[in-house]
Amino acid sequence: MKKLNYIIAAFLVMVWMPSKGQTQKGSVLIKNATVITITQGDLEDTDVLVENGIIKKIGKGLTANNVATIDAKGKYVMPGIIDAHSHVALDAVNEATAPITSEVQMADVVDPYDIGIYRALAGGVTISHAMHGSANAIGGQNITLKHRYGTFNPEDLYMKEAPRTIKFALGENPTRVHGRGKNIQPRTRMGVEAIIRNGFNEALQYKKGWENYQNESKQKGATPIPPKYDGRLQTLVDILDGKVIIHCHSYRADEIYALINTCRDFGITNIVFSHVNEGFKVAPELAEYTMGASVFADWWAYKFEVYYSTAYNAAILTQNGVITSINSDSGELIRHLYHEAAKTQRYGQLSDQQALELITINPAKQLGIADKVGSIEEGKQGDLVIFNDHPLSVYAIPQMTFVDGVKYFDIEEDQNDMRISVSAMETVEPIFLKEHDHSCMHGVDFFFTNFGRNLFEHSH
Amino acid sequence: MKIYTKIKLQCSFLMLMFFLASSNLHAQSDPSGTKRVTGNYAIQNATITTSPGKIIKGATIILKDGLISAVGTNVAIPAGTDIINGDSLFIYPGFIDGGSSAGITKPEEPARPSNFDSSNPSDEIAGITPWRNVLDQLDMTSNALSDWRKAGFTVAQMIPDGGMISGKSAIVVFGSPNSTNVLLQNTAVSARFRGSRGMYPGTPLGVMAKFRDVYKNAELSSKHMNLFTSNSGLNRPEINKTLEAMYPVLNKNIPVIFEVSNDLEIRRALRLQKELGFKLVLSGVTEAEKVIQEIKAANATVLLALTLPEDKAKKTSGDLNEEAQGRTNRVKEAYETALKQAGILEKEGIKFSFTTNGSKSGDLMKNIKIMIENGLSEDAALAALTINSAENLGIQKFAGTLEKGKLANLVITTAPLFSEDAQIKHVIADGYVFDYETKAKKTSGGDKNGKTSDGVAGTWEYISDTPAGSSGGTMTIEGSGDSYEGTITYDDPSGNGKAEAPMKNISTKENSMSFTFDVSAGGMEIKVSVSGDISDDKFIGKMSLAEFGSFPLTATKKPNQSNL
Repeated sequence: MKKLNYIIAAFLVMVWMPSKGQTQKGSVLIKNATVITITQGDLEDTDVLVENGIIKKIGKGLTANNVATIDAKGKYVMPGIIDAHSHVALDAVNEATAPITSEVQMADVVDPYDIGIYRALAGGVTISHAMHGSANAIGGQNITLKHRYGTFNPEDLYMKEAPRTIKFALGENPTRVHGRGKNIQPRTRMGVEAIIRNGFNEALQYKKGWENYQNESKQKGATPIPPKYDGRLQTLVDILDGKVIIHCHSYRADEIYALINTCRDFGITNIVFSHVNEGFKVAPELAEYTMGASVFADWWAYKFEVYYSTAYNAAILTQNGVITSINSDSGELIRHLYHEAAKTQRYGQLSDQQALELITINPAKQLGIADKVGSIEEGKQGDLVIFNDHPLSVYAIPQMTFVDGVKYFDIEEDQNDMRISVSAMETVEPIFLKEHDHSCMHGVDFFFTNFGRNLFEHSH
Repeated sequence: MKIYTKIKLQCSFLMLMFFLASSNLHAQSDPSGTKRVTGNYAIQNATITTSPGKIIKGATIILKDGLISAVGTNVAIPAGTDIINGDSLFIYPGFIDGGSSAGITKPEEPARPSNFDSSNPSDEIAGITPWRNVLDQLDMTSNALSDWRKAGFTVAQMIPDGGMISGKSAIVVFGSPNSTNVLLQNTAVSARFRGSRGMYPGTPLGVMAKFRDVYKNAELSSKHMNLFTSNSGLNRPEINKTLEAMYPVLNKNIPVIFEVSNDLEIRRALRLQKELGFKLVLSGVTEAEKVIQEIKAANATVLLALTLPEDKAKKTSGDLNEEAQGRTNRVKEAYETALKQAGILEKEGIKFSFTTNGSKSGDLMKNIKIMIENGLSEDAALAALTINSAENLGIQKFAGTLEKGKLANLVITTAPLFSEDAQIKHVIADGYVFDYETKAKKTSGGDKNGKTSDGVAGTWEYISDTPAGSSGGTMTIEGSGDSYEGTITYDDPSGNGKAEAPMKNISTKENSMSFTFDVSAGGMEIKVSVSGDISDDKFIGKMSLAEFGSFPLTATKKPNQSNL
């Protein structure tokens, strides 16, 4: 009897900790669906076989032994949606205390219990880019997350094969937080540029100091003194060395173009602009010199610098050859990015293909992961969503969402309470209405102070 | 004349009474242990648990000048020994606290220079003070400390208060007030994930990065120092007291003791440990079941929180719909898991001990009995309080068990330690005897010293943790019963310094308090409401800012000045 209890207990532990050690990889065979591959057109009545987390085969009449089979007749399968700008699953967003905080890492504060991850899965989103906030000219290092919901371990969510990325921010947010809030640089857009340029120049000196030290160390009998370590400058060195992709919060065309010039001066090509409401004015430049623009479909006028905007932005950028994505920056919008993408058909007449690229392969390119996800191709990771209808239809509802071939969302198995961790101290959890912040932002100094800064953390 | 004599007589009588009374006071045993006739004691015919599971009945223990000189059934009592009759008494090793804040006063925040740059504050202002010694913050005569001794603790590792790296801890014995009572100094560096108010590093993001920065530069600085002392022709190293104070951590001579409040913070401490390689103690562990394998792999020392949550689900009443019932059940599950923590750690073979930080001395036995009801064995409970704690602190050579040659640290109870009727009759610490009144029958209320008579009135210091860092101030409350008035200070939204606002709608009910106050900022009035639970001098609650969300707020009542 005791032994039996032990076996049952061991089994329970296995069920409750599915991702102990390595992250879980699954196998699944989806049959008879309309497969929207993104890169190889739409395939009618087609099967997709995922084995051990990787798309093994796309074709007709596929079979597989001991693999869960789903009949998706009349349904649509598309690659998992990718959100290039999100703050879901983070315990802290802004280290808003210095104009450059490139040493801080969002990976340190990932909260795997955030129900926002599950809500995103319910909206077909399998990957989100968990970013630092926009308080600083150079913010923290972001982390690309795969929505492997159900683990206690934040590291299980990391997409470890994704390249490093970092948050930059231009315009009103850094100038208000530091200039007006604390009376230090930057107080103007010029100051923001100066902060970034000075940062890079210091980084070059820092790099040189360490190179000298390493060279001298190689010489026989030499006893060079090690320079100081500076995680802040080291990260900037890594940017200059092309190891880190910049994702820059920006609105106005003039400062977007100014940062493009700064990057060109320092030989940086890995840069994506986020929000970019005036991006349509500098579309050719964005196309030539950057990894693209990640925009809202139709969201603006929440502060002064965001008035000159248009819902045609994504379409104009796309038609000018800019790699364009549509992001959420919100725990609410992330649940229906497919609707956001569909808006570009009303405003700009993008094709189905172009519209869906905005939330799949394009954000994958901007995150440096397009060789692994973002389309349905053999050899890519098994991140898939099954829709009841065409994903750009207003009637589209995600039915199942898979990450690495593992089903993390099924509309038929959606329980009342999908939380992983529950506090013993609170019968009713506090509700954080972060989505309100953007409308509460403009003209209120309170939000930029010590006391109110917490409210600021999620501003666009 | 007659009348006059009578009055005189009465006066004399009163005087006599007065002298009798006062001399009586002097003649009593000296409960504070400030003076004593002999340092030698024998306790006869008691049931002695020398270490968990090892019980000797009808035994005698002899203490000589602060050390145990003999323990057993066949022990001769030397002359000049004060004999304590141990009939029907139970003796245990004195408890050892892995991390205590009793008697610690937070050092005053240093003044900010006129050209203060919040993006680059000095280490001291930013709460990075590994050079600080907890003994400078410790008052060995504080009531808090004697309360813990009364609960059975004889030794504690004292943790300095402060910012993200607050200073070095020390191990003290709760002995004579005339001694420094220090057993060991500089036993660990204390760290926590709390950011500084309104400056870098302000959030866990910044704290993690800054910790790496301090650690790596300490390594480089140490390297530079070694090169400088063994070579000529090198520039001298710039002495930096923050980095120097970290050297013993680099050498793994002492651990970093990280205060953690949940499993995610445990993981953050483990992450830093894995990257940098220091010895790690996790203090205030909760929710360990989610991270147990990682704790084991890192070989981290576990100090379990002595606090237990309230049973909130029990309070939920009325008819609940299916969804609400489901939610309540999950809170209940979480509550039950919290009670099982100690039992889980025991089953996993982790030799944990306790930290009293954040808990109340009056709850000690109550909480440990709850842990025992939820899977902790009595032996493991005693081990956590004694020998395991000694081993975790590296003081097992002279503390943790009742053996010849160890420090005379004992707890003496009227019944087996974890039984319903057990009361502590004496605590012996460093060979000093502290006597406590025992009651024939157990009273339900324990021995609260009537603190609640003036209710919430007094001065409270509060801290609110927000995703952007912590902010805080004081709440000064006057009044009693149903009518309270007060003012609250908070970080001024329009710049540096504090602003003040009246507290409105202060209401208290049983053990809870709520109030509101208005903050004006940029021509806009924002209503802030605060509510939470009070226990003794702690307030744990939430601060809600209109529709923007709510953030945890904790406050501690400052002791009344008149008591000092």
